[in-house]
Amino acid sequence: MTTSVAARNHVTVTGRPDGPVVLFSHGFGCDQGMWQRVLPYFTEDHRVVLFDHVGAGRSDPAAWNREKYASLDGYAADLLEICEELDLRDVVLVAHSVSAMMAVVAAAARPDRFSRLVLVAPSPCYIDDPGSGYVGGFSREDIDGLLESLDSNYFAWAAAMAPMVMGNPGTPELGAELTGSFCRTDPEMARDFARVTFLSDSRLLLQQVTTPALVLQCSEDLLAPVEVGRYVHQQLAGSTLVQLAATGHCPHVSAPEETATAILGYLQTVR
Amino acid sequence: MTAGPEVAPATGSTPALPADLDLEQLYQQAPCGYLVLAEDHTISAVNDTFLHWTGHHREDLVGTRFDALLPVGDRILFSTHCLPQLAVIGAVGEIVIDVLGTGGVRRPALLTAARTPATDGVPASTRVIVFSAHERRRYEQELIAALHRAEESDDRRAGAEAELRFLAHHDPLTGLLNRSGLLAEADALGGPGAGPSALLIDLDGFKAVNDSLGHAAGDELLVVVARRLRAAVRESAVLARPAGDEFVLLEVFADPADVEPLVERLIGALSAPVLVHGVEVVVSASIGVAVGAGADDTLEDLLRRADLAMYRAKARGRNRWEQYDPSSTDPAVGRLQLLGDLRRGVVAGELRLHYQPRVEVRTGVLAGVEALVRWNHPTRGLLPPSAFIEAAEESGLIRTLGAWVIDEAIAQAVRWQAEDPHAAPVEMAVNLSARQLADPALVGAVTGALARHRLDPSLLVLEITETALMGDPAGALATLSALRALGVGLAVDDFGTGYSSLTYLKHFPIDELKIDRSFVAGLGTDHGDSAIVASCIQLAHALGLRAVAEGVETETQRLALLDLGCDLAQGYHYAAPLAADVLRSWSRALSR
Repeated sequence: MTTSVAARNHVTVTGRPDGPVVLFSHGFGCDQGMWQRVLPYFTEDHRVVLFDHVGAGRSDPAAWNREKYASLDGYAADLLEICEELDLRDVVLVAHSVSAMMAVVAAAARPDRFSRLVLVAPSPCYIDDPGSGYVGGFSREDIDGLLESLDSNYFAWAAAMAPMVMGNPGTPELGAELTGSFCRTDPEMARDFARVTFLSDSRLLLQQVTTPALVLQCSEDLLAPVEVGRYVHQQLAGSTLVQLAATGHCPHVSAPEETATAILGYLQTVR
Repeated sequence: MTAGPEVAPATGSTPALPADLDLEQLYQQAPCGYLVLAEDHTISAVNDTFLHWTGHHREDLVGTRFDALLPVGDRILFSTHCLPQLAVIGAVGEIVIDVLGTGGVRRPALLTAARTPATDGVPASTRVIVFSAHERRRYEQELIAALHRAEESDDRRAGAEAELRFLAHHDPLTGLLNRSGLLAEADALGGPGAGPSALLIDLDGFKAVNDSLGHAAGDELLVVVARRLRAAVRESAVLARPAGDEFVLLEVFADPADVEPLVERLIGALSAPVLVHGVEVVVSASIGVAVGAGADDTLEDLLRRADLAMYRAKARGRNRWEQYDPSSTDPAVGRLQLLGDLRRGVVAGELRLHYQPRVEVRTGVLAGVEALVRWNHPTRGLLPPSAFIEAAEESGLIRTLGAWVIDEAIAQAVRWQAEDPHAAPVEMAVNLSARQLADPALVGAVTGALARHRLDPSLLVLEITETALMGDPAGALATLSALRALGVGLAVDDFGTGYSSLTYLKHFPIDELKIDRSFVAGLGTDHGDSAIVASCIQLAHALGLRAVAEGVETETQRLALLDLGCDLAQGYHYAAPLAADVLRSWSRALSR
């Protein structure tokens, strides 16, 4: 039995049907819900396509295949399949965190699909490489620590993140339905996902990318320090580096307006 | 109860707080840690419980980022998972983290947080509760460890089961299916349409390899044979080694005409020499084919038919194949019956000796004869040795049979002498099997027969194959030396097909080298064969041995042998094996 790619990756399409396509690819630890805050800036003029990576959110758990997803290539193949099934062309691919390198793999393989890449807090390699002087910010032990941390939260994650909120005074921006499933993930798949994404080294691939790219660099980002963003910018020919005031690793969540404005501003520049 | 002026009036449904409640104290000394984070996740407030628990000082924490208190792994999880969730949903619950206390001590904790969005000039903040989760953490770690162990042991068990299944169905030596694996696979092959055909492949002379070079060498040979068979058949073909040197191939043939090319391919694949323990061994196989199992046939039926066909292939000279033919009265039907018949036949005098002339190549003069046994079977007629010698060897009947052959051959030699006292005496060559050579009674039997019939021992030549010599070289040497001491001549039979080792030629007291018919066949036409025959003859002469060519069938071969200086020759070019009286007439005609 073959399920559609759209069902496999729980693809959501919104926005202006005849607008230019913006495809959002979420990073590790979350799902397409992560893009909620920036969507209003795009839906009016763009055709917005969202999806969950297999193993995250509402993707089809049956589609999980340890072998296929043992490298970024498996995820990049899914990305391309989504473009193909929905017949997306001249795609602006906005990819966050570890997804940024999946976008790089996809764009290197099929440059004809993409008009622009927007890499939000990217890192081609999280682990330091003393041999080449590259500083990714982490050691192998640190990543093992992440895997441990995932293990520790096994039950919490498996419990699907029930919204046990003690007197949450603020009104969540999301509906109750999404609240219950936000960033739901299977702990086993999350472990593999983390291992693949945090241990891969895509540095050599950067030079193969010909698609114009915007690198969005956050301030005080633990996962993608400023040096790493600069490195990505240097290696990606024809890329633009924008330093955001937003702190942390998820500017589209913590500073949606600044993030969206930076992206839209970039898209308006002449190619 | 009157309401005191110091009590705040109740508002809405919220009950009034107790008058003596110190909220500040409740906050500072709550049974859990409290923190308030600013918009940028720096700590703006922290309670005493958290400070006490972690050992940090308030002034060191306020103004620093909360995630700096987490080890790297947790920090990544916090920034990739918790913070976005806090921002989007406004809360996270019971996240398991370690909080770094003073000195880097990890304190397991459960983190629950809620975010208050910015309102009317008040910036957003996040309230964090941290519970010590020591017990729970340990409990969860145990569960996780158990889970991983269970996964591992599941993998291991699955692996062990698969391995066990494999072992139960495979021959550990060759990796082919064993008998039970064959049965299992045969079930899988069943279905509508033409059933599978069975090929039973039995190595010729495997026992000799095992006996002479040892079991390790035999095993090595089987591995090579298995590999060659596997390479010669289709991927889907079922190949098994149910026992010993016997291989079974199950294959579905769309067209019966496909059988022959496959069988020829198998025979071809096996015919290339195999290097076993540094010795080049040529194996051949006898193959029995039973085509297309019917719907009611069991695998056993099919294999029985292939077995019968295989024995017919053996009986017809080995290194060949036969197809099962239900209409033929197969000579191989029932080896037990064959043995029973033979046992009775030996006693009943059904055995005959035929004599093939051995002629001096240079002069064309009859030098001697080779005695060859025939069985005059009451219903099946005259049978060649190939039809029954193997069965006799395997049953032990060969001792009786062999003793009879020696005795009868010697007696015949003496009879001829008596009939033609003036003719030159004729040498009598008799074949000895490996089993006879190993028989301690052999020397006594030969001695007794020579004495009984009063034959000059020098007129008796005993022929032993290379492989028989190599089975137990020390034993063979002792026996041959004893025979030599009697004055009996000794010949190495089928020279060139076994080990062709100079070593034993030097060690054994041999008088004669018999060059195998397979080389003689190519003499004068095949350069390789001619070269082999030439070097065999040179070798024999260099060692002071007589060279004898077997299977001479053409004038070309004879001329080549003459040219090479071969001493004796035998074969259809001169004469077929003849009955004693026929030989006498033949001999007289020759000398006339």
